[in-house]
Amino acid sequence: MTVARRDCSWVIRVRPETAELEQVRRFVQQVAREAGLQVEKTFDLKVAVSEAAANAMEHACGDEALLEIEARLQSERLTFFVTDTGFFRPPCPPRGKLTNRGLGLPLMVALMDEVSFSRAPGGGTRVSLSILLGQAT
Amino acid sequence: MNLRVTSLAETPLLDIEGDIDHSTCGGVGTALDEIVDQGRPVVLIDLSKVAYLDSGGISVLLSGVRRLRGAGWLGVIGPNDNVRRLLELVGLFVDPSFRSFDDRLAAEAALISEEQAR
Repeated sequence: MTVARRDCSWVIRVRPETAELEQVRRFVQQVAREAGLQVEKTFDLKVAVSEAAANAMEHACGDEALLEIEARLQSERLTFFVTDTGFFRPPCPPRGKLTNRGLGLPLMVALMDEVSFSRAPGGGTRVSLSILLGQAT
Repeated sequence: MNLRVTSLAETPLLDIEGDIDHSTCGGVGTALDEIVDQGRPVVLIDLSKVAYLDSGGISVLLSGVRRLRGAGWLGVIGPNDNVRRLLELVGLFVDPSFRSFDDRLAAEAALISEEQAR
């Protein structure tokens, strides 16, 4: 007998500040536990979701609007949607000599089964990060 | 995240406890920079108590490796399997100015044998 996994979703909203990334990781950890993921895949999701969230935070520049992260668990996949407010601004922290920005996107692509970008209904940018559960768990 | 600067076999060692992410990597970068600014050719970072590291942490390591290139190397100690996998993914393990050790004993042995070869 096969037990169909019930579709469910979870959402958190955080202030667009990097200090909130720890809370984002705790959220990913909880969802991953619900989905029954192994430690390795859980770590990969934490990194990928953090990178997407950090990118959105970098462009928020003091904006008060909260960053929304939604996790959707379906029978064959687990997807995290990271959605920002949609006001494009150049990154606000000065790009000092020590930054290696630009690593985030290749990491997301390397660690996830699928990555896509789209325009959210409110005009923001939505990053979708999926792992396929058949092969990933 | 907590950070302490100590030493191992007279080589500066950053002892880090906690996650290295985009909010904490600045502190690690500053500490690493200060050591490299003093002209030290080899710097060690103990990652054995670092459960999580992302591109913020990777950036700091890459910068350290870049600054030490030619003069010496950056060594990490005890990265967990996930952190190690991430460092391999970004190509650090094939960089001649980067080394990884299972524990402090292995790092110390490498430092001593290098000293003797000099």
